[in-house]
Amino acid sequence: MDEKQQLATKLVASRKKMSSRGSKRDLAFYSVFMIWPVLHFCVFYIAINFNSLLLTFQKIDLASGATTWTLFGNLGTALNRIFTNPELVEAFGNSLLAYFVPLVIATPLALLFSYYVYKKMPLAGLFRVMLFLPSIISAIIMSVIFKFFVDSAIPEFVSLITGGNKTIEGMMANPNTRFGTIMFYNIWGCFGVNCLMYVNSMNDIPPEQVEAAHLDGATGFKEFWYISLPNVFSTLATFLIAGVAGLFTNQFNLFNFYGDAAPAGLTTYGYWMYKQTLYAASSPAQMPIVAAMGIWMTLVAVPLTLAVRKLFDKFGPSAE
Amino acid sequence: MKREKAKATRTRFSPVMIAMCVILCLYVISLILPFAWGFINSFKSRLDFLHNSIGLPEQWVWNYGTVFKHFRVMITNDKVGQKFVTLPAMFGNAILYSLGSAIVSAIVPCMTAYLCARFRYKFSNVMYNIVIITMILPIIGNGPARIQITRAIGLYDSIWGMWIINAGFTGLYFLVFYNVFKSLPKDFTDAAKIDGANNLQIVLRVALPVVRNALLTIILIKFIEFWNDYQTPLVYMPSYPTVAYGLHLMEKTTENAMNTVPMRMAASMIMFLPIIIVFLVLQKRLLGNLMVGGLKG
Repeated sequence: MDEKQQLATKLVASRKKMSSRGSKRDLAFYSVFMIWPVLHFCVFYIAINFNSLLLTFQKIDLASGATTWTLFGNLGTALNRIFTNPELVEAFGNSLLAYFVPLVIATPLALLFSYYVYKKMPLAGLFRVMLFLPSIISAIIMSVIFKFFVDSAIPEFVSLITGGNKTIEGMMANPNTRFGTIMFYNIWGCFGVNCLMYVNSMNDIPPEQVEAAHLDGATGFKEFWYISLPNVFSTLATFLIAGVAGLFTNQFNLFNFYGDAAPAGLTTYGYWMYKQTLYAASSPAQMPIVAAMGIWMTLVAVPLTLAVRKLFDKFGPSAE
Repeated sequence: MKREKAKATRTRFSPVMIAMCVILCLYVISLILPFAWGFINSFKSRLDFLHNSIGLPEQWVWNYGTVFKHFRVMITNDKVGQKFVTLPAMFGNAILYSLGSAIVSAIVPCMTAYLCARFRYKFSNVMYNIVIITMILPIIGNGPARIQITRAIGLYDSIWGMWIINAGFTGLYFLVFYNVFKSLPKDFTDAAKIDGANNLQIVLRVALPVVRNALLTIILIKFIEFWNDYQTPLVYMPSYPTVAYGLHLMEKTTENAMNTVPMRMAASMIMFLPIIIVFLVLQKRLLGNLMVGGLKG
């Protein structure tokens, strides 16, 4: 009995020793492979954002590059520019339109088209591939081709079908149609990939749920409204929550169309910020103002994003 | 099972569905038309395009050879002084930048997610929460600060520097990998441990094969994303133009032979070709696995 007990104690002790050796090895392995992500996060998130905050309180001399400190000078200048600089004043309205119009038009369309593909209606396979295509084509290719198409091909086509009686200006060359054409482009080229995500989410709906709805007499629209929509709601909410920052980052594809020289009346906050960042790469004196502008925008975007998230949590439908 | 699911999801081809089919057909035509137009016009001469922008070319001109041979962009900055970069060199830069960045930006989240999901240290929760917080909180306007830091640590204006910048673990793909590793039964790794495998061997022989499909798809998606992106290289590696970057600069070129619509259409098609080949070959992998911002597990 004693011998048996001794043996058991020895076994437990050796297991403990092994497991402690194993956990030490685990910890060593864990620590070694965690070094890179932690280091990367410290440099490319914490240090960069902290530096952005510091930049807000700095002034960089244009000629010498020397840095001096200022308390709220940049924040004040940035705020003043947001409300008085004509380009930024027009950017406010344009950014709102660039955010809300595609949202209101493209989101319902994307959901309906996804439902069509999910139901495996005629040509669904082709539509699935084609809807995805714009997201793999570079924005610069799409915009170059689109720009020349609406400026050269469409006017010539109109002239051809009217027998030369009617001539129209290129749709992006004409200041009256320019904004609308770019808005169309933004909707036309963007909603495909969302469609595909919705389709894949709909494909995860249990067939029993759909069958039960059919047995209860639900047809097309009711099935879409009561089964499909609640099931893709989390996907939809993710897009909408993540999209709030788009109010300040959406370039409206202006850089793709015009580089840094977009005509007056089109600017959005996102376009303006990217342009200033590009200039700042060669002229550091610009950096503090861009950083200060970013602080103001972040101060609006963060609570707005959290508020939208809360709204979805509170009022969103349940898939149950 | 598949047949059951298809049967359950099938519905009547109602008038609403017919209307949607028509709208979708029009949408598909509207997508194809500009590209077909661009393709046809890439075979025209400058004069032919000026007089006839919607018909077939009067004489088919091989602009592709001209673009490939003569298209180059001039880079002027303190680092390189003044240099010309040819299209083949832009392809080289694009492949190095896209492939390297795609691999590191997929592998780092994968490895970090494995550590967080399989090792129950408190720090794993910290890392997980960092991912969630950075995804929810948008920070705007830190571009200049990023330029300053990348310059300070010597990563600015180099392709390998971009690989390091892109080798972060945050983002939705971390969550994709995390969910897969979390659902992996503990017995899998325990069995390997009993067989004498160390932690690295477990990662290579057990964990990576489980996420192989997801990993390859993410590398593919990231490759396409980096190949198409020109705004990041424009700011962070101005001396190494990629093809997309070159196409952006083509608008500003002062070389008369290149500054025509047919030449730009030809350059667009040259850039489009590799991606469409990748897409056609691997479309099943891309389309089937894509979920919100990520992939099915």
